[in-house]
Amino acid sequence: MEVLATLTVLFLLYSLYLLYKSYILKRSTNCYLVDYVCFKPSSDREITTRKCGEIMERNKTLGLAEYKFLLKVLVGSGIGERTYGPRNIIEGREESPTLDDAIQEMDEFLDVTVHDLFVKTNISPSDVDVLVVNISTFCPAPSLASRIVHRYNMRKDVKTYNLSSMGCSATLVAIDVVQNIFKSGKKTIAVVVTSESISPNWYSGNDRSMMLGNCLFRCGGSVMLLTNDPAMRSQSKMRLKCLVRTHIGANDDAFNSAVQKEDDMGRVGVHLSKSLPKSAVHAFSQNLKRLMPKVLPYREMALLVYRIVKQKVVQRNTKLNTLVAQIDFKSGVDHFCLHTGGTAVIDAVGRALRLSEYDVEPARMTLHRWGNTSASSIWYVLGYMEAKKRLKRNDRVLMISFGSGFKCNSCLWEVCRDLGDGDVWEDCIKDYPPQILVNP
Amino acid sequence: MPRQPSPDFSTSVKLKYVKLGYQYLVNHFLTLLLIPMIATTALELFRRGPEEISTLYDSIEFDVLHITFSVFVIIFVLIVYFMSRPRPVYLVDYACFKPSPSCRVPFATFMEHTSMICEDPKSVQFQTRILERSGLGEETCLPPANHYIPPNPTMEAARAEAQLVIFSAIDDLIKKTGLQPKHIDILVVNCSLFSPTPSLSAMIVNKYKLRSNIKSFNLSGMGCSAGLLSIDLARDLLQVHPGSNALVISTEIITPNFYKGNRRDMLLPNCLFRMGAAAVLLSNRRRDASRAKYRLLHLVRTHKGADDRAYRCVYQEEDSDGHCGISLSKDLMAIAGDALKSNITTIGPLVLPMSEQLLFFFTLVGRKLIKPNLRPYIPDFKQAFEHFCIHAGGRAVIDELQKSLQLSAEHVEASRMTLHRFGNTSSSSLWYELNYIESKGRMRRGNRVWQIGFGSGFKCNSAVWKCLRTVKTPVDGPWEECADRYPVDIPEIVKL
Repeated sequence: MEVLATLTVLFLLYSLYLLYKSYILKRSTNCYLVDYVCFKPSSDREITTRKCGEIMERNKTLGLAEYKFLLKVLVGSGIGERTYGPRNIIEGREESPTLDDAIQEMDEFLDVTVHDLFVKTNISPSDVDVLVVNISTFCPAPSLASRIVHRYNMRKDVKTYNLSSMGCSATLVAIDVVQNIFKSGKKTIAVVVTSESISPNWYSGNDRSMMLGNCLFRCGGSVMLLTNDPAMRSQSKMRLKCLVRTHIGANDDAFNSAVQKEDDMGRVGVHLSKSLPKSAVHAFSQNLKRLMPKVLPYREMALLVYRIVKQKVVQRNTKLNTLVAQIDFKSGVDHFCLHTGGTAVIDAVGRALRLSEYDVEPARMTLHRWGNTSASSIWYVLGYMEAKKRLKRNDRVLMISFGSGFKCNSCLWEVCRDLGDGDVWEDCIKDYPPQILVNP
Repeated sequence: MPRQPSPDFSTSVKLKYVKLGYQYLVNHFLTLLLIPMIATTALELFRRGPEEISTLYDSIEFDVLHITFSVFVIIFVLIVYFMSRPRPVYLVDYACFKPSPSCRVPFATFMEHTSMICEDPKSVQFQTRILERSGLGEETCLPPANHYIPPNPTMEAARAEAQLVIFSAIDDLIKKTGLQPKHIDILVVNCSLFSPTPSLSAMIVNKYKLRSNIKSFNLSGMGCSAGLLSIDLARDLLQVHPGSNALVISTEIITPNFYKGNRRDMLLPNCLFRMGAAAVLLSNRRRDASRAKYRLLHLVRTHKGADDRAYRCVYQEEDSDGHCGISLSKDLMAIAGDALKSNITTIGPLVLPMSEQLLFFFTLVGRKLIKPNLRPYIPDFKQAFEHFCIHAGGRAVIDELQKSLQLSAEHVEASRMTLHRFGNTSSSSLWYELNYIESKGRMRRGNRVWQIGFGSGFKCNSAVWKCLRTVKTPVDGPWEECADRYPVDIPEIVKL
């Protein structure tokens, strides 16, 4: 009998141990954003609107009509006078970019930001377990992820992933990779590097649908350090609550809305079709459908359900658009980081979510100060909010971005502590918001 | 690695038996321990006699409550234990792209094209010499754009090649597995040197009308070992999402990467790289366990990028005329061997039987403490694996690995024959090799396969699979029509 009793006790102790182990594992599945650093290129790379116009003028294939069209786009773009471009375009070599130009652009970004991140967070490169790099339009061999491993002497068992051509929403895809690795429970430190390569992607033809990229994209990038170690919670800035990805590539119009191809003269550029806004709206609404239950408080969801039932049953009306328009997103979200794809995008998203000028101000100001830095833009928007001391503990921040394919990705963060680090906005935050946004 | 001097025949036979005995003893240690235990228990029982045993049995009081409680505890422990184990990752099936004979590039065609495209006769001569010694055969294929003189590498042509190889591999996979595109939860695509906007993963989502909540990832620039990296990513995702499946596509698009210059270290890829693609279906659903071919046991990644020489050994750059190409340094073999050694130190303890590990451990201790110039013991990996799939990077890579791991010609046959029939298809080559082993009827249930991939960076990744059901020939796939003609004898130098 004693044998049976001892065995039972042993089994019980073992099961308690297993439970304790799974509890510890569960605790370590949160994704914390420890810190992030945005890139500020050197001041000799600044481009004013006038300079942009001069660069456009150099393109001999443009006729007067096209040139006027481009100037109009530039002036109404909401982009300010202090955005940054790559060296080869500023120096007049935009038509024949070399591999070295592209690598130099990346090196200038990586050398400064990744180093600053390690200094800020007090983490050594050999502590990094996972490295995810997403730089859409440039992927040399060896990959940029390998370049970083080489430059910073990372360990040989570091997990690297180099994502490519996933568009302006790729940063959230990288965060998705990291959060999935974190869910295994093992204590991990991850670095995510996001940027865009402008040097090799200048369009030197005269097809109007391909010229917009030249006007809007600017140099920028950001690097983030994430971890699932609960011990680093006190020094973390935010915690990831949910991430929703939507891909409507199955729809042909959406898939063909942003395609990199050759024009009639054989020059490569990204063709933006007229169905782009519609695809964006479609992707956005699909994303919202899945995001809403995770973001809105119960009261708001209950109200929505009540309204749907009332409309469908009582009024026999199956159109739900007006109902969606009545949802108050601000009940579940305090701050909105919108992708700075252009003034039209920001306006459209702001209208859809019923946001005030105060809510879209960070996105507009980021577009003004930095231009469309593609995937890293939402981190600059976050930087603005932080510099303006808007982010307080327990606030919720929603990030939304769009990308070719067509994708719409969004994620919700919860702020862990009051934030106030100005980072790259430090020197100019007091000038924002400016009185006039229109360019000369 | 120093070769062991061949001792004389009778001693070698005795050594062999001693070694066999030692291996059997150590590997089955626990089972062997059971024999004396059972013997003692049986003897004890016989000594006591049957009446005494029955009185002993009656004297035990069975308290119902206690018994029920114990049973519940045991069941509870078992449930918690099974739930805390990592989810198994099954390879349901895979399909490789089968190139059409019209894309064939026999030696004569290749040499003719080269002499018409290259201005420098020395480069033509160099490429001829490379091809003679390459280990490639006459049936390797290049994409249609490379058949033009000069080659016509437009974005349009590159996309066409991508669509051809990828869609054909996926269609084959759908036919084999009955997979419904709407049921794919995760999509990972890896293609090193071609990444258009929208990505190749978006292209697949569009063609097969995949769901809008699909988790798609497009990896690029990660070299010839990227196939295993994609499997690693898929595995991480499958650990987190229960009841899902993942489609992994590995390919390399040749069209935009033809090197037009004269630098010798950059001309090598022109001679070796050929068209290919593979589509792999992974799953973590329990119901797929019965029809899956393999289960993933281990996946180990090693990145030697911190070392300068390793980082620069496969490097994309522009030559003095501005032509872009990938240069392969002369140190490639040494670096590959080094990266493999690093990888083995991690994977060795996971896969080697105890006998090998102990031997390795004792020789290590011996070298460190007793005699520093004792020969390092190279563990015998043939005991851990039945089949080897070594990336068909080139003849030299396969030779080097055969020597380092002390493998026989039959073990590296899959790699050599894949190189001969399909050329270096980069990340998908491992799947062509696996298909060869299956087509030859050698894959049996319980067999373990070791896939080793090398790539720029410098990375060495290896994956260990266990076969879950014997694969019956004939096998659908790129080897279907030609498996009977293989293995062929590949001469050192083919005279052109």
